[in-house]
Amino acid sequence: MVRSGARHDHDTGPAPEALRLVKVTKSYGTGDSAVTALDGVTLGLARGTFTAVMGPSGSGKSTLLQCAAGLDRPDSGIVQVDGTELTGGSEAELTKFRRGRIGFVFQQYNLLETLTVAQNTVLPLKLAGKRVDRRRAREILTAVGLGDRLGHRPDQLSGGHRQRVAIARALVTEPRVIFADEPTGALDTRSAREVLTLLRQAVRVHGRTVVMVTHDPVAASYADSVLFLADGRLAGRLPAPTAEAVAERLAHLGDDVMTGV
Amino acid sequence: MFVLAMRSIRQRPGRFLATLLSAFLGAAIIMTFHSMHDTAGQPGVDSVSAGTLGTAAGVVGGYGTLLVFFAVASTLTVNVRQRAAELELLRCSGATPAQLKRMVVGEAAVVALVGAGLAILPAMLGGRLLLEVFQDSGQVARSVEHSFGTIALTSGIGITLLAAAGAAFLALRRAARGHQRRGRARVFLPYAALVAGALAVCSTFAFSATDSALMAPPAYGSILLSVGCALMAPRLLRGVLDRLTPGGASGWLAVRNLRQRSGQLAGILMSLILFTAVSTATLTMQAVESEAVEASGLVKSVDAKNLETLNFTVVGIIVVFVCVMLVNSLYAATTYRGREFGQQRLAGATPGQVLGVVGAEGLVLTVTGVLFGTLAALAGIVPFTVVRGDKVLPGQMAGVWAAVASIGAAATLGTGLATARRVLRTPAVRAVASTA
Repeated sequence: MVRSGARHDHDTGPAPEALRLVKVTKSYGTGDSAVTALDGVTLGLARGTFTAVMGPSGSGKSTLLQCAAGLDRPDSGIVQVDGTELTGGSEAELTKFRRGRIGFVFQQYNLLETLTVAQNTVLPLKLAGKRVDRRRAREILTAVGLGDRLGHRPDQLSGGHRQRVAIARALVTEPRVIFADEPTGALDTRSAREVLTLLRQAVRVHGRTVVMVTHDPVAASYADSVLFLADGRLAGRLPAPTAEAVAERLAHLGDDVMTGV
Repeated sequence: MFVLAMRSIRQRPGRFLATLLSAFLGAAIIMTFHSMHDTAGQPGVDSVSAGTLGTAAGVVGGYGTLLVFFAVASTLTVNVRQRAAELELLRCSGATPAQLKRMVVGEAAVVALVGAGLAILPAMLGGRLLLEVFQDSGQVARSVEHSFGTIALTSGIGITLLAAAGAAFLALRRAARGHQRRGRARVFLPYAALVAGALAVCSTFAFSATDSALMAPPAYGSILLSVGCALMAPRLLRGVLDRLTPGGASGWLAVRNLRQRSGQLAGILMSLILFTAVSTATLTMQAVESEAVEASGLVKSVDAKNLETLNFTVVGIIVVFVCVMLVNSLYAATTYRGREFGQQRLAGATPGQVLGVVGAEGLVLTVTGVLFGTLAALAGIVPFTVVRGDKVLPGQMAGVWAAVASIGAAATLGTGLATARRVLRTPAVRAVASTA
């Protein structure tokens, strides 16, 4: 009884979907040089899932991530994070919306060079004016394997370690969704594997929802499912992906779109 | 390479604006004052007039040369650093270091020539005005006519060109050498300046109240002390920062940024310290002196008047140049930080919070700079007033200090915040991505 009740709560909670996009459109430029980056994308991602977004260069992956993460405003359509609609206003309003809802991991880490590992990790809390729980921050940093490097600066760390700091920073605010933009793009294969394992742990252990944009079929194989994007439209979904299946699907992505039309 | 130099100037005129402005101001000042040499050299000018004109031209012309050099060097260093990526690209495309040197020096020379050319007309007018000032105060005979001749023209163009080319050469070499440990001279120099300054200030007491040279030791003492402080700027800044524990995310970030970047910010702090010390000390002492002369009922001698004019001109020139340097280096330093601001925004900082960080940094810099500048100025002013009048702190200082401090604060905070606002217009994601 208790168990099913708990599950019931979970399933019909206010927002079963951590992220929902409805007919999101975004184009850049004007007139003849206008490029449609997103062409009516509709998708929903359940809570506690790890999704990879793949597609060739220029397919709109990055735009999708930026619109979904409240970094950019779509031209039309609806973006909902954890059931709350993102209503585009000023940058300050978008920033306040992102705080506590969204965490980021970027290819270029984007850690502040002037701050130590520990200071970088608690920065989002400081900026949001929240109480800084140093013990919790240290726990998270220890969990990503950096417990002995709290006082180091980013330039004293390897790429893999910097990306772990970025993951710790994304986890510390307990966001609904973590967006990762090519998180392994600048890493060697071993560091990449470790980072991907950490992202998967963020889903399994911490119950976060992770959306990862990537080029790499191996990276995508760590996700629960892969969404394919071509010419600004969704071009299929692959559950329980393997690297080979992803690569195969990517190779024929152009064909799919052609036959689809 | 020269063609490339011309092209890069034509494509990006904005980048050379600061250099052009420094060259223009420098050339205008040098020509204005050196035209006094031309004027004095005319037949039929009496010896007193010629003496006044010669001193003015010599002193201010010399100062001007130095300042042009420093101002152009500072703007060009910034310029070369900003274009590190472009220069690297040229190097990869097969440009030899000598070719790059020719390009950068060529650009600087062209900009300096344009600046000097633009300065000719204002300098002719300025020279005429300056002569009138001298004539009105009776330092130069009415019959003397202003002349703008070969000395003004050749020295103005020549000095500006040489200073710009030399500064470009140095800027390029400094950029190529990259980060380097400070030599022994750099460690020793600030102490030498402080000791010399202290000695100069103390020697004030050896003069009597009516000595005409009384103002020299405390004035030079102040300047030397401020140079010493300016050279120690990074250490002073760290000392101030250790005593600061501000609340709020912006203040917290600002203090950490400043502590890490204390080395790079030294230039800005240096300008502020020098600016505050030189202008406060000189203007206050001049005001005290003028009042003392007036109170004694004596008429000022030509020498005293010369000194007054020179004091005001020199301070004016220093103020203008230091402001140009301050604004330029702060503008460049803030423009650079687009990526850092983007990272702060992606970590959850609102644009307002980023501006708060920049404002807090500017405030700390201003307070530190004005504080040490004021200390250096006081070290000169107090002995002077003690000997000249019998007071310790002159009443004139408050007004002068308030004006100087507010100009410094306005320049520092205004430039930092206005630039940051502009930088923040780039969306955060793009600001972070544009890593050259």
